[in-house]
Amino acid sequence: MRTPGGVLLDFRDVHTHYGALHVLKGVSYEIREGEIVSLLGGNASGKSTTMKTVLGLVRPSEGTISFRGQPIHELRTSEIVKRGIAPVPEGRRVFPRMSILENLEMGRYTRRSEPGWDEDLERVFGLFPVLRDRRHQLAGTMSGGEQQMLAIGRALMTRPALLCMDEPSMGLAPRLVEEVFDIIREINAQGTTVFVIEQNVNMALSIAHRGYVLQMGEVVLTGSAAELLESPLIQKAYLGSGA
Amino acid sequence: MSGLDVVLQQVVNGLALGMMYALLALGFTMVYGIIELINFSHFSVFMTGTFVGLTVLDLMGVTAVSRSLSGLPLVATLIALFLVTMLVTGLLGVLIERVCLRPLRNVSGTAPMITTIGVAFILINLMLLTFGPQAQRFPSLLPNWRWPLMGTAEITFKQLVLFAVGLVLMVVLSHLVKRTTLGKAMRATAQDADAARMMGIDVDRVVVLTFFLGSALAGAGSLFFGLYYGFTGYYIGYTTGLRAFTSAVLGGIGSIPGAVLGGLCIGLTQSLGGQLIGVKWTDVMIFSILIFVMVLRPSGLLGVRAPQKA
Amino acid sequence: MRGLGARLGLDRWRALPLSRRRQILTPVLLGLGLLFPVLTGNAGNVDAAANAFTYVLLALGLNIVVGFAGLLDLGYAAFFAIGAYGYGIAASGQLKPEWSGFWAPLEWAGQVSRLVVPGQADSVQFHFTFWPMLAVSAIICAIFGMLFGAPTLRLRGDYLAIVTLGFGEIVPVVARNWEGLTNGAQGLGGIRTPRLFGFDFGFSPYPYYFLGLGLVAAAVWVSIRLQESRVGRAWMAIREDELAAGAMGVDHVHYKLLAFAMGAAVGGLGGTFYVAKLTTATPDMFTFPVSVMVLVMVVLGGLGSIRGVVLAALFVAFLQSVILQDLTEYVHALGRLVGSAALQKVELITSLELIFGIILVLMMIFRREGLWPAVRKVSALTREQQTAAPSRGTAVDLEWARPEPAGGPGRPLLEIAGLRKSFGGVAAADDITLTVHAGELVSVIGPNGSGKTTLFNLVTGLIRPDAGSIRLEGREIGGRAPHEIVTAGVARTFQNIRLFNNLSVMENLLVGEHARLEAGVLGAIFRPPWVRREERRAVERALEGVAIFGNRLLPRLDHPVYGLSYANRRRTEIARAIMTRPKVLLLDEPAAGMNPAETLELMDLIRAFRGLGITIILIEHKLDVVMDVSDRVVVLDHGVKIAEGAPAQVRYDERVIEAYLGRRRRAA
Repeated sequence: MRTPGGVLLDFRDVHTHYGALHVLKGVSYEIREGEIVSLLGGNASGKSTTMKTVLGLVRPSEGTISFRGQPIHELRTSEIVKRGIAPVPEGRRVFPRMSILENLEMGRYTRRSEPGWDEDLERVFGLFPVLRDRRHQLAGTMSGGEQQMLAIGRALMTRPALLCMDEPSMGLAPRLVEEVFDIIREINAQGTTVFVIEQNVNMALSIAHRGYVLQMGEVVLTGSAAELLESPLIQKAYLGSGA
Repeated sequence: MSGLDVVLQQVVNGLALGMMYALLALGFTMVYGIIELINFSHFSVFMTGTFVGLTVLDLMGVTAVSRSLSGLPLVATLIALFLVTMLVTGLLGVLIERVCLRPLRNVSGTAPMITTIGVAFILINLMLLTFGPQAQRFPSLLPNWRWPLMGTAEITFKQLVLFAVGLVLMVVLSHLVKRTTLGKAMRATAQDADAARMMGIDVDRVVVLTFFLGSALAGAGSLFFGLYYGFTGYYIGYTTGLRAFTSAVLGGIGSIPGAVLGGLCIGLTQSLGGQLIGVKWTDVMIFSILIFVMVLRPSGLLGVRAPQKA
Repeated sequence: MRGLGARLGLDRWRALPLSRRRQILTPVLLGLGLLFPVLTGNAGNVDAAANAFTYVLLALGLNIVVGFAGLLDLGYAAFFAIGAYGYGIAASGQLKPEWSGFWAPLEWAGQVSRLVVPGQADSVQFHFTFWPMLAVSAIICAIFGMLFGAPTLRLRGDYLAIVTLGFGEIVPVVARNWEGLTNGAQGLGGIRTPRLFGFDFGFSPYPYYFLGLGLVAAAVWVSIRLQESRVGRAWMAIREDELAAGAMGVDHVHYKLLAFAMGAAVGGLGGTFYVAKLTTATPDMFTFPVSVMVLVMVVLGGLGSIRGVVLAALFVAFLQSVILQDLTEYVHALGRLVGSAALQKVELITSLELIFGIILVLMMIFRREGLWPAVRKVSALTREQQTAAPSRGTAVDLEWARPEPAGGPGRPLLEIAGLRKSFGGVAAADDITLTVHAGELVSVIGPNGSGKTTLFNLVTGLIRPDAGSIRLEGREIGGRAPHEIVTAGVARTFQNIRLFNNLSVMENLLVGEHARLEAGVLGAIFRPPWVRREERRAVERALEGVAIFGNRLLPRLDHPVYGLSYANRRRTEIARAIMTRPKVLLLDEPAAGMNPAETLELMDLIRAFRGLGITIILIEHKLDVVMDVSDRVVVLDHGVKIAEGAPAQVRYDERVIEAYLGRRRRAA
């Protein structure tokens, strides 16, 4: 069902609650095949909840989420991942007391009975040579930047259709952030659709095709990356309107 | 000079005991590692295992035969005994998880632990009511060969068999956990359950598997008890359990090598301590170790995570 | 069901205020208790009831530890044992030390006698009087309670339980093995029975019954008094959320030890009473299953519910002494009826522990709050109150919340210098220096992960700084315990709202006043006039505190806070913080989750707090609001202060914009 340019992920009118708090208030966006789409927002915008909702860790109280036309918002996480969505979680969440190789093996868990381990591994090592050098090192002993590479590599092991990245720039020095975003562009060029949830507007829009801006649980702005970068509204959305 | 062989004897005895505690502690620590639950019922499953073993031997007609077996029939009997008992205790563990613990999976605090205390009491009393309060003789399957080591110290065939079986089980477990994908999924779940879910790992199934393995190991440990001591009773889960629990905590709760190390340490403490200070004080010694570890070094000898205040 | 209740008058009963219900119930229950022996006319029943009182005492004692303070003690039987053996050793011939001058005053007081045996050294015969031993037992147990509790202070719930289990095991083992002291497994015998004005209690159950009734009544009274006092509120705060309790000024070390001590003391009373009646004490009476039995009583009745645990204890006692026997008879009869030999042989009493196990499992899975949970005085909203338009409060004029002037506004109040904190090699606070002047409103802003909440946590004592200093009015508070910092005058709210969920709005606010009140245990129990006055004023102030939000919280004062709307929970938290009468108030994202109207209202309130002279430090993401209300704005990024100044200045600062939006990319 691969329709180049067709809609891969359709997030429609989703509301979520955290206890009594209404977090997402009717959020809609779509991601088309081959794109890099960025969901932007500051603190308390609700963007962290978005990825959890896509992955099934949080259930929407209203609205639907569809992947390749099939609803996924009521499926279990393991099911959703099997269908081709791979997460790079906020804060990396690598398995600290397992080696790089073992982490990558876990990344490929849903395809563990399928052949192609060597090719998948090579592809990841090709993108991240530092992982090849340290393949037996325990993930918990690596630096933040290296863990981020591992987290991305781990997600790529399933050859996902959609790579979901939650705040890849968090906690990284600016130079590393640039490197990471260069790699994201590379991954996209190799054929993976990428969904980047980010706080760092400029970096995200430098690689995305399109973007959505979230504020207080609602989408307040959307457009192509170029449009958004030019727009004075972005600064307003983040820093508030002038006195 | 003559004191040394006494010490050596106690070391040999202690290591054999330690094997048993290690097997029991392993199952307990695996469950803790994955769902952070102190599972009291684990030790009652252990106790139940001895009765399962008794029943199996009864059904195989072994208890009726008064001479001990040797050679191929012995090996076959042992294998059958271990396999069946471990299977039954494993399933018992799974049953406990599904019925009593899964409904409480998202409840924080001590409610799940209290539930395991209840389950422990239920198991203990079911055995008491079924088999009666008096100690039951466990058939001595293994011939009573012994070999001198030094002076009066000797090592028995029983102890060698237990060492061998224990080592085999631990090697198998180690291979399972370190090298198979399923074992790695278990480790991943213990380290970060949400991230494991995001990898597509079915955490519920991993929990069930952990309970099965842990309880099966308890079953193996229970047979050690029966074969080594030659008896069993409804109350054995209690004393042996607390010692295995201390082993797990001492070694580092959640750590598999820690459980083995802890078990051996406690076994040695029991036999050497019993020799030097007096058998009736071993309980106090072991409890004191427990309290000291929990208060001064909660992460134990090899543990990685100290249990944090919520 | 409802019809029956109404016909029985239950509705009218529930409509009565709690104090009235108590006024009616107390004499009725006491009367029934006193008349019971006469009514039943059967000495066997009186004896069973007297024994049951021991169970009730134990349950009430454990209820203080587990129910009020939330500390799971699995070794409670240890205190039962210490109380029992304490009296047993003092009142039997077990110990026979050699006579020396040391014993002379006790001999004069009639507590010991000098035994003269020809051919041997003179020895001491113990026969301490029961009545002072009651007090001595309680004190000794209280000390042991603190001893056993001390190692557990920093432990998590399940670990705490295990350590107490350990102590609970050591005591009977010591009792079994220290034969010189306790006569080992055989147990103590020949313990003297109590005497009152020459009358020896002997083996008749009646005097023990009345003694037990008296002890239970006293224990119930003390429990109720404690529960409804500053001490009880501190315990419940710790139970609900220890971190937040500390942030409201509750010293968790002090109150946990107090809970262990009081719970142990009551257990010791139970032990002394039991052994005086039984005239014997053996180690088997105090093993782990006994601790579990007491736990079963508390779990069955309801953790923290005094009437619940009393009823459950009576039930368990009668289960053991009467009910199971009777049931066994029925089962035997049934067996004869259907011709089943197995049924005829069943002895249900041996399955007592099985029943306990089943109770624990069922209660935990299906009804964790117990069968008779504590009465929550929840007043239903009247129709008017439900439909009333929420009104804003009038001007905030809480005079008692005005911080004492010391040097006037404008002087430096909070001085942070060179503050550093790292987590795992990453600097969450990197050399932060900031001075906040009295009466100012300073806002701290910055992107996610910039260290704002870490700064709050450092100032309020939740985490210790690696380096640097924090001074309040010139005195160093960096690294001090949270409750000390609250007492010094710093209060806070939390980003994700940490209220005491099962407590009512009023109770939450009263905990906020904890640091400003003084009633201790004795004051709680005896309620002298000054304590009554203190409580009354505390309630008055709480009402005023709630009134700043108009009529939003007023009708809900008795409601447990878990049921409130998000905005009301936030309001409760802010009111609670004000009750600590802070000099500096730290608000962590107070407007999160609020709609624009609510946000505006909140900002008015914050301005009103300023009007009272309270200095405010605010973390907020709604930057419009921040710019509007602040005197100064401080911007953090990656733990570093990157900008500081007037709002207008800061919002157009290049570095600030870059921190939020990210650096523009180098040309590719």
